[in-house]
Amino acid sequence: MSNPMHDRGEHYLTTPKAEPFLERLIFNNRAPILVAFFILTLFLGYNAVKIQPDASFERMIPLEHPYIVNMLEHRDDLENLGNFVRIAVAVEEGDIFTAEYMETLQQITDEVFYLNGVDRSGLKSLWTSNVRWVEVTEQGFQGGTVIPDGYDGSRESLEQLRQNILRSNEVGRLISDNFRSTIVYAPLYEKNPETGEALDYGEFSRQLEEKIRDKYGAENPNVNIHIVGFAKKVGDLIEGIASIAWFAGITILLTTLLLFWYSRCIAGTLVPVFTSIIAVFWQLGTLKLLGYGLDPYSVLVPFLVFAIGISHGVQIVNAMAVEAGKGFDAITSARLAFRALYIPGMLALISDAFGFLTLVFIEIDVIRDLAIAAGLGVAFVIITNLVLHVLIMSYIGISKGGVRHVQNHGEKQDRKWRVMSYFSHPGVAPISLLIAVIGLGLGLYYKQDLKVGDLDEGAPELRPDSRYNKDNSFIINNYSTSADVLVVMVKTQEEQCTQYNVLRAMDRLQWELQNTPGVQSSASLADVSKMVTKALNEGSWKWYEISRNQTIINASIREAPAGLINTTCDLTPVLVFLEDHKAETLQTVVDRVEEFADNFNNDEHTFLLAAGNAGIEAATNEVIANAKDIMLLLVYSVVSLLCFLTFRSIRAVACIVIPLGLTSILCEAIMAVSGIGIKVATLPVIALGVGIGVDYGIYIYSKLEKFLLEGKTLQDAYYETLRSTGKAVIFTGVTLGLGVVTWIFSPIKFQADMGFLLFFMFLWNMVGAIWLLPALARFLLRPDKMLAKARAAK
Amino acid sequence: MANRFICETLGSACLGFSMVLAAPAAFAVPDILETPSRPTLLAPESLLNDATRAGERIVAVGERGHVIFSDDEGHTWVQGAVPVSLTLNAVDFGTEQHGWAVGHSGVVLHSSDGGENWTLQLDGNQASTLAIESKQSQIAELEEQIEQAEDDEKTDLEWALDDLFFTLENMQADQDVGPVNPFLDVWFEDDSHGFVVGAYGMILRTQDGGENWEDWAPNLDNPQNFHLNSITQVTGGALVAVGEAGQIHVSVDGGDTWERRESPYEGSLFGVMGTGQVNEVLTFGLRGNTFRSTDLGRSWTVVPNEGGATINNGAVADDGRITLVGNGGAVLMSTNGGESFRVYFRNDREGVMAVVPLQGTDLLLVGEGGVKFTDARGRNPN
Repeated sequence: MSNPMHDRGEHYLTTPKAEPFLERLIFNNRAPILVAFFILTLFLGYNAVKIQPDASFERMIPLEHPYIVNMLEHRDDLENLGNFVRIAVAVEEGDIFTAEYMETLQQITDEVFYLNGVDRSGLKSLWTSNVRWVEVTEQGFQGGTVIPDGYDGSRESLEQLRQNILRSNEVGRLISDNFRSTIVYAPLYEKNPETGEALDYGEFSRQLEEKIRDKYGAENPNVNIHIVGFAKKVGDLIEGIASIAWFAGITILLTTLLLFWYSRCIAGTLVPVFTSIIAVFWQLGTLKLLGYGLDPYSVLVPFLVFAIGISHGVQIVNAMAVEAGKGFDAITSARLAFRALYIPGMLALISDAFGFLTLVFIEIDVIRDLAIAAGLGVAFVIITNLVLHVLIMSYIGISKGGVRHVQNHGEKQDRKWRVMSYFSHPGVAPISLLIAVIGLGLGLYYKQDLKVGDLDEGAPELRPDSRYNKDNSFIINNYSTSADVLVVMVKTQEEQCTQYNVLRAMDRLQWELQNTPGVQSSASLADVSKMVTKALNEGSWKWYEISRNQTIINASIREAPAGLINTTCDLTPVLVFLEDHKAETLQTVVDRVEEFADNFNNDEHTFLLAAGNAGIEAATNEVIANAKDIMLLLVYSVVSLLCFLTFRSIRAVACIVIPLGLTSILCEAIMAVSGIGIKVATLPVIALGVGIGVDYGIYIYSKLEKFLLEGKTLQDAYYETLRSTGKAVIFTGVTLGLGVVTWIFSPIKFQADMGFLLFFMFLWNMVGAIWLLPALARFLLRPDKMLAKARAAK
Repeated sequence: MANRFICETLGSACLGFSMVLAAPAAFAVPDILETPSRPTLLAPESLLNDATRAGERIVAVGERGHVIFSDDEGHTWVQGAVPVSLTLNAVDFGTEQHGWAVGHSGVVLHSSDGGENWTLQLDGNQASTLAIESKQSQIAELEEQIEQAEDDEKTDLEWALDDLFFTLENMQADQDVGPVNPFLDVWFEDDSHGFVVGAYGMILRTQDGGENWEDWAPNLDNPQNFHLNSITQVTGGALVAVGEAGQIHVSVDGGDTWERRESPYEGSLFGVMGTGQVNEVLTFGLRGNTFRSTDLGRSWTVVPNEGGATINNGAVADDGRITLVGNGGAVLMSTNGGESFRVYFRNDREGVMAVVPLQGTDLLLVGEGGVKFTDARGRNPN
């Protein structure tokens, strides 16, 4: 505390030559700190490599939403209702009535039977004995398996098979309408009933690929295999997570090349890459220690951490090269770089971290995990790239080539910076503002179309042209089925779930819903009862009605499919098949159900929302829609507050935050135009974009303020700002962009959406800081007053 | 204070009021007998069990109380206003304006404006009361007979009495459950004379357009109360009703008396129709069994039908072609007065419940999937 200035607090701008306490602490203990970091890295790195992919379904849904609470409460009752795979075996040429096709189908059926996880008693295909044809006769019923007795592949037995299929009521369900494919339907165990082991979706999905699709696709080239079902989807997602490793490699390579091009110094290239990777290891290791796995969302965080690490490392390398160019040795230039950068660097990183942490307020675990992972990562970047990086560089120093590069490059660059400094010119600034206002107007106009939820057909997690979604659309086009199911749970007194009044109420709700736009069809015990009552009355449609006679109802639902009645008969579902899963569709349907429940819930029956993928999505949409504005408010408040605390000026805050706001609005407009909805994946983008985007503004503004306080005119000050930090800021934007741009090629659709949007936000925030910030400064800042205030402070 | 004073003064009234307020705000779903059919665009695509002409107009009925009518040969449909939302099974118009529709819960509906508005004339509770009263008077009659009968006749009569009591008990048990049994067909001669038939041998007659109904079951020889599935009038004026267990009943006096014919078949007959020739009858049912009579059912010939699908209904076109329709998309056509048929199975395999010949040779089918236009063979138009 030799410097009395410290007693009044250190303002890095007013005491530029001082040696802050932190600096002394770090630089006086270089060796011990490095050793400590080395040990820490070994320990966390060891944990990091043990981290496992984890596509836990529960973490992706809003567990506190009443729909989800209801669903989880009745989860055991509804088990297996939605957990199955459907394997469509399609012929390329001709139809299914060939001996070869039937043989392949038999082999596939057998193979599926022995797959681990399949509920064998529920397995259905043309070759299983539970697929039967039934005919009403004068004596009652007659029937048999669809495969005729004594089937031998001859033309006669194939013809008999065709007859049986037509009588079987399975056309459109197990057999496609055009007789060119049939389905092997396999219900799955969530938990193995013998071992109690949970189904390994990744492994199950791999087995389907190897033992079914690859094997029989190769054996019988006339056969195409299409597989859909929740387990397959999750399997494909897990596979998608693994492919992220490639992107990591590409990102590191690209960044390294770019960094070398920028610094022309091997140390200045490798050290920031190295320290950024260490930050990633620390982050992953800590996550593992905290008990987290890598889900499809948090697997992206290391990219962000790496990119943020590099972008801050660049500032250090840049500053050191400038100082070294003035003739300082390695350690002194490292100290000076640290001294100049640790406050804006920490401020930027802390605002990143707080930006991420606002995501914690969204009640969906994957987003919270993402927030925690990203927050941790950024915290580590503070240590690795502001401390470790500087320390290592203080031993190595910037190479002569690197220093020369900075100096030589100077003059040509300076002309460019001179031109760009006109962004703050009184003649140019109003034009910039006008453009910004027009951009704002366009953004506000287009963002009106912004939708909540997933907008694409099929499984929204995967790309529309992914194999899974192609399989899905094959099955939807050839069979009477929909991929979007909303399940309404009907709760009754124990053993009362089949009462006339309950069925009647369900039937009424179903008809109400079938008359609701977006609803394709519906199914419940009421339909089963009507259908079987009709069958029991010699197949006459005039008996297609729910009988008032409970004995007849009981007879009619004796063979009801599993999952429609729970073991205590106090819960029965209504399945509502939807045309799509757009947010409006879901909202209309759940509104209808809630209205019905308000009117008719009573002691006999309570209608509860919601299960099924559409039910979960409806809940998720609601949470997302409610969280969006709160989150925006929070993230902007936090960022503004941090800027204010640092720069003590509302005008400064405006200069930094307004360009961010413009980017946020343009980002929403782009989402609306390119058909990306606000969803679990894209909501965090807004927080990440703002949290990280503010870095540029902070770096630019802190330099600009420094030069203004030195008494320069605005344009000169901005010129000096660009000269000293402009290149680093542009480089930062490009590196961050590179960090996320590879996601665009991810097989997982929402990762691609996130990559696309973050790429836009990172680059555009950079443009905003360099182009719009000086224009705003022209109107908002009062350099004379700032000077006066600074002098008064002294 | 004022409230408390009033409450103390009015005592129980206040208590009653507060109890009303405290009751949960939920209600049971009203019975389908009290729920008007919901206006819907889906009716022409939903299950329709019968269709007929009311003058030029086509009227069809089906599930959820749907009645739809079309004035342009089935291209556009308007939904009639119906006070109930249960499955309707049959419709018939005695005149262009006056029509009756019947269905589940023992419902008889009447329209006096060509099918646009319908009122409930009879429900299952009333129908079963009628039937029970009629059984009780049968029992009373029989008991009187037994008293006056010779000893050797008594045993047989007492057996018959036991049967009646047994049936009565069943009816009373059914009545306790509610209006459980459906009517399955209706026939009206004009705006006042008609019959409805239904499950467990129900048959009611009206002579005043449905103001009053009379249980007509005692006049038919159906002691085991098998379902009556269909009733119609054939050319020449005779009435024919058919049903479960191969029942065939004929009346040549406008329905006053009925005679049971010997049946060529022991299974269910779902429909009966004339061929357009005097006293010629076609009847058909389970598994495509089809029979033809030229003498009001005194003798029958088997009509060969290889299709094997249950036949539900049929119609005669102006040019004499006969079309039968049935389950599994079966459409059968005859150009020789029903002596033989050509079978066609529609690709959709959906059950067909009724057929209305359109102008030209085209057909309008109704059934499982609602309304379908086809050519004369039942194929979809190109």
